[in-house]
Amino acid sequence: MNRLYPEIAVAQLSKAGEELCGDKVEIARTEAATTVVISDGLGSGVKANILATLTTKITSSLLKRNVPITEVVPTITETLPVCRERKIAYSTLQIIKLLPDSMATVVEFDSPTTFLFRGGQVVPFPTEAKNIGGKAVREGRLLLGEGDIIVAVSDGVIHAGIGGLLKLGWDWTGISAELAANCSPADDAEKIAEHILGCCNGYYLGQPGDDSTVVVIKLRRPRNLTLLTGPPANREMDEQIVKRLMSGEGKKIVAGGTTANIVSRVLGLPVNVDLEYQDPEIPPIARIDNLDLVTEGVLTITAAIGRLHDIRKLRSSNRRDGATLLARLLYEADRIDILAGTAVNPAHQNPNFPAQINIKAQVLTNLRNALEDLGKRVTVEWV
Amino acid sequence: MSTLLVEICLGTSCHLMGSQDILDAIETLPPEKRGKIDLRGVTCLKTCRKGPNARVNGVVLSEITPDRILAVIEDNLP
Repeated sequence: MNRLYPEIAVAQLSKAGEELCGDKVEIARTEAATTVVISDGLGSGVKANILATLTTKITSSLLKRNVPITEVVPTITETLPVCRERKIAYSTLQIIKLLPDSMATVVEFDSPTTFLFRGGQVVPFPTEAKNIGGKAVREGRLLLGEGDIIVAVSDGVIHAGIGGLLKLGWDWTGISAELAANCSPADDAEKIAEHILGCCNGYYLGQPGDDSTVVVIKLRRPRNLTLLTGPPANREMDEQIVKRLMSGEGKKIVAGGTTANIVSRVLGLPVNVDLEYQDPEIPPIARIDNLDLVTEGVLTITAAIGRLHDIRKLRSSNRRDGATLLARLLYEADRIDILAGTAVNPAHQNPNFPAQINIKAQVLTNLRNALEDLGKRVTVEWV
Repeated sequence: MSTLLVEICLGTSCHLMGSQDILDAIETLPPEKRGKIDLRGVTCLKTCRKGPNARVNGVVLSEITPDRILAVIEDNLP
């Protein structure tokens, strides 16, 4: 069976007047499991942020080392610093753990009930009450399928508009009705998270009365991408590398002029170069049939890394330059295999050129880091 | 109508050496001349060290300048 990929989106608002959000979300992806830990620290601002950060970090690290949940909850309550004014140490804790076979475990400690959005219907994620280390906790397990969506919110979202636009706040049923009415299971996780948070902000009239967090996890088929950049060191490898590129699952991208010529020669397909400069800094893109994108190499990749550092801008941008198109395709993929040619172009050893074009390894390391920060699985193979 | 094939390299080196200026210069030609040019981009002409490079009617021209490309076009226009 094809493994499903959990697409995760987080949208947050801080309480009006606060710079820091007192809710914290920690996402850990490993081969063994994907874990999302959400915590709402007592109060708001710096103090709440510290409590929530400690809670999510400790929980996430313990779970990564396979410490059972029965030990995690007491560890948290015993570790958190005590608030000087309230004389208590407190934060909520919500854990969503997904195994590669799509088995989901949800643990809620004083957090709002988790939503399960399946086939257009919204129901509470099934959990049962448990006592863990003297704390009342709810825990449940469910095998998820393709298109299933889990939504978790902090109580700031549940109470949106309370005492103002909505007497008793938006409430769980209000959110679930909004999900069912105005979100589609076909939407991506980010769209749903932004929509719910947008409504929440609306009910607060743009002045959130509490830190608000929406986490959306959607299970879908994985999206793969193969990027070939740079000619192989040995010309005899050309054909084999192009075959590797073309036999990869998912999207196929070539970045590099000479590389594009090699692919064109091996496939017997012409390269059609766009003459229009969409951005004076980025050389135009080209087209080869059966490939999703053909761009210039190192300058475009360097600019794409910059674009990947501002995802909000990238998502709303309608620019059509090579770097934006490359960044967008990379952002949409979950698994990225980079085939990096090691041939050196002596003409690039020009002291008048930007330094990065001589250090492709460094550029690709930066690309890999930027993509891994976005939760992508990246492999780089030098050929 | 016969046209003159003019290819401009838009690879990394040529881009950095100013291939955009070459393209811009060709676009400034009056319509009666511009209309006789089949202008295309290419990704590498294998003379990166001597960019920007262009190819006019199959002949590779290196270290080209806007003035020079216009002169070559003038000489070769059908």
